[in-house]
Amino acid sequence: MVFEVLDGGPQSTIQDAGRPGYLATGMPPSGAADRFALGVGNLLVGNDPGERYLVGRRPGSAGLEVLLSGLKLRVLAETVIAVTGADLTAMLDDSPLPMWQTVRVRPGNTVAFRRPRAGARAYVAVAGGIDVPVFAGSRATNVRAFVGGIDGRAIKKGDVITTLAPRRALGHLEGRRLRDSLVPRFDGRWRVRVVLGPQDDLFLEESIGTFLTYDWRLSPTSDRMGCRFVGPKLEFKPRPAYLVDQAGADPSNIVDDTIPVGGIQVPSGLEPIVLHVDGPSLGGYAKIATVISADLGQVGQMRPGEIANFEAVSTSEAVEALRKLEDSISEASVVRS
Amino acid sequence: MFYREAVYRPLGDLYLTVEFGDELNLLLNFRVIALDTALRATSIPGVTETIPTNRSLGIVYDPFVTTRERLVGQLKEIEQRMGEITELPSRHITIPIWYNDSWSQECAKAHGAPNNLEYMAEINHTSVGDVIRAHAATEWWVSAVGFQPACYQALPLDPAFSVSAPKYPRPRKWTPERILCQAGKLTSFYPVRSPGGYQLLGRTPIELYDPKQQSPVFRDGPVLPRVSDRHTYVPIDEVTYWQIRRQYEAGAYEYQIQEGSYRLQDYVDKLAVQSRHRVQQAPGSV
Repeated sequence: MVFEVLDGGPQSTIQDAGRPGYLATGMPPSGAADRFALGVGNLLVGNDPGERYLVGRRPGSAGLEVLLSGLKLRVLAETVIAVTGADLTAMLDDSPLPMWQTVRVRPGNTVAFRRPRAGARAYVAVAGGIDVPVFAGSRATNVRAFVGGIDGRAIKKGDVITTLAPRRALGHLEGRRLRDSLVPRFDGRWRVRVVLGPQDDLFLEESIGTFLTYDWRLSPTSDRMGCRFVGPKLEFKPRPAYLVDQAGADPSNIVDDTIPVGGIQVPSGLEPIVLHVDGPSLGGYAKIATVISADLGQVGQMRPGEIANFEAVSTSEAVEALRKLEDSISEASVVRS
Repeated sequence: MFYREAVYRPLGDLYLTVEFGDELNLLLNFRVIALDTALRATSIPGVTETIPTNRSLGIVYDPFVTTRERLVGQLKEIEQRMGEITELPSRHITIPIWYNDSWSQECAKAHGAPNNLEYMAEINHTSVGDVIRAHAATEWWVSAVGFQPACYQALPLDPAFSVSAPKYPRPRKWTPERILCQAGKLTSFYPVRSPGGYQLLGRTPIELYDPKQQSPVFRDGPVLPRVSDRHTYVPIDEVTYWQIRRQYEAGAYEYQIQEGSYRLQDYVDKLAVQSRHRVQQAPGSV
């Protein structure tokens, strides 16, 4: 027993690198909304950061994903943690808890997240990783499908969180931190790279231009399933009449097809929705573009009201960006202070 | 329409789709399943998952192992080699439904919609009884699974099935779990409480999604429906609904599942009969 939950906050869930392999059953991969942040946290505390999102085999160790603020934990046993991701004013008792580095915590300490300052989701990695049953290869929580984590739900007051045995002695973990140059700066303006398609050909040319130049504002109606953006209406090209019967009356309707994680559907041309890690695998709205997997974490860190600019890149640029991101989740990025 | 050549679409850096057409048509779906089957038999390096839909096959791949260009080349080869498929493995599952159940009625009312079955009867110029009889008379082919775990889409294997249903103009905020629904000629299912816009048909007392995997039918995973399953829906009344529900909850319900296969020619033959029938009926036809 390592933590007792004093307050679960609006939504704190146990996540790892996700549950690939079940998309054909409609089961989303889930996992951390910001793969880099949880991966680095795990690395710092000596855990397995897991393999790449969606195509890796190992989901790595489980940690806590903390949305905005309110989570409060009481430490029950001495351990080492690392808090990464969003700056949610993490506190260790009455002092600021330093981020992106290991911190030794002792019984009686409290760890609390007071107020979001930059980014939306912080991660608490703990030596050994959180011990909950593995469901379909992963510990990741999906609250809509009632799987993973603790009974398939967000953590709540009274829960007791246990960990697996740490892979390294706690003493060896002290003083480990992420190289400064790799610590992300969240300034509330987000550059989100996309690969156009699969259905960009259904949109008017001008609307593709609007999509790639407008300052899109994140709507409060956003979660791990989908992030909705407010801006001008996007228009569709005229389409053959048979599609009204086959796909639906709205010009944005298509005969249902695969929605990738990161797919951006635009129902009725209004409010593009980036489908995220808990998102649906199948749907009937045209998708203008797909967020590259390296930038999914950027979208996961946005707070309502913040601005995203979508920038089109090629698939090979997207793969390079992914390589860079994954390479940075490695021991070479860790320094000792 | 059926495309003359499959369209390959990029979906970011980890997915692509092979799209055979843009209509709801079982013959398209058979083609998707055939490619999926051939792909599984070949095991191309880098392919990690495939996702069949009504008209396209979604493919997840590892871009550090392969590239989209190489993958598309390999898929085109498989497509060319792929012969005509005549038969597919297909389970038959019998699912009891309380059509026009009280939850569906309440849900429609709460969203300001008319009784969905009465509405469907009206626009199809028939009676509620006939809508239910028609829905239960045909076998349904599961053509896609997705949207959420165990949510599926199924098309009628009887081409004579003619009851059509429009989607709600404004999607509902919620739908009770275990509700069967229809839009166009597609039957679908809400495994868990969720928003949605399909017309509500009825409710089943048995689970098609069980994250706790209590029954042996969930041994391999929490999701029962699979693409290429056939379903028959059996109308039950309220009393039977509760009998089966209690059985299910006591762990005593036995799922009615038969392993088997489906001869695609059966469907093609039925289509031919149906189109001859249509020609004969068409007024003024020669």
